[in-house]
Amino acid sequence: MEVSHSVKERTIAENSLVILLQGLHGHVTTVDLRDETTATGRVTNVDAFMNVRLAEVTFTDRQGAVSRLDELFVTGRNVRYVHIPDEVDIRATIERQLAAIHRVRYFGGRDKGRKEFPRAKHK
Amino acid sequence: GGAMSFLKRFPPPAEGVRHQQPDTEAVLAGRTLGAGTLYIAESRLSWLENSGVGFSLDYPTISLHAVSRDLNAYPWEHLYVMVNAKFEEEETKEAPMAEGEEEEDSDDDAEPIAEFRFVPSDKSALEAMFSAMCECQALHPDPDDEDSDNDYEGEEYDVEAHELEQGDIPTFYTYEEGLSHLTAEGQATLERLEGMLAQSVSSQYNMAGVRTEDSIREFEDGMEVDIAPVVAGQFEDAEVDH
Repeated sequence: MEVSHSVKERTIAENSLVILLQGLHGHVTTVDLRDETTATGRVTNVDAFMNVRLAEVTFTDRQGAVSRLDELFVTGRNVRYVHIPDEVDIRATIERQLAAIHRVRYFGGRDKGRKEFPRAKHK
Repeated sequence: GGAMSFLKRFPPPAEGVRHQQPDTEAVLAGRTLGAGTLYIAESRLSWLENSGVGFSLDYPTISLHAVSRDLNAYPWEHLYVMVNAKFEEEETKEAPMAEGEEEEDSDDDAEPIAEFRFVPSDKSALEAMFSAMCECQALHPDPDDEDSDNDYEGEEYDVEAHELEQGDIPTFYTYEEGLSHLTAEGQATLERLEGMLAQSVSSQYNMAGVRTEDSIREFEDGMEVDIAPVVAGQFEDAEVDH
């Protein structure tokens, strides 16, 4: 799975539920926008600012009219809800994403590699 | 159509242009603005008609953008850009996509919306145009984001403050929060450890291979700590905390 190449974005993701959304890559998901339009499509990217990129999108406007978009990028600011698909195990997804981030952070071993900030003790 | 007052004359952007698409028609709310060049630059999105007038859009005002190839919705493949701002044309009765905001007088708080379509004569460029916009948009995160502490710089990022705002259970205690959980005995131990740490701090500066007289320290229990002789350049490859 994809982990951001930016220290800052990994840090943000690790400490917010954006990390869950980042685990939705490849899943078909519905995003409700602030202006009450909705977009359903396959998640191709979610960044730390909750900008969401979808492919093969069905877009429904406020009047209910439907159109298709090949690709859609919604700014985080305009996302109201992201519907987590039923088939997604939320806890497992979060743990997987955290593990991916930690593999990057502790590359070379637990006490070697780049230190981004003090190591967290996980319960 | 008639002249749009928001069109101005300005030079094309010279810096940070991620993508440039000539021969691109700009359409606002279903009305064409003419043919010109779209400049997808890091600072803003600009379109200049061949005559030299055009307009710019700031990324923070752009709500979303998309590639539309659905000819039932709009007869030409294009880059769709929704902007959170008002432009001259407000009504979109003819807009085939029917996404336009029709007169919603009842909704006084409705955010202004303007819909632009950029129709390149070269349809195969749409992917590149879309991606360039994604990259530029990501350079302009929302400054008004209330949910997060914006002070994220590198190793100084204050995990604790961010966690407190999120209301998550902290995964570890940082200084301020942990201190309040210490017993009196714990506090005394902490002070002793901090004292020892202060004494040994200077020894860290010898790790790069330079040995000074300060590298020998005596601790309160008489233990003498001596940094082992180092070979010059031994730690050249080491990652230094910064």
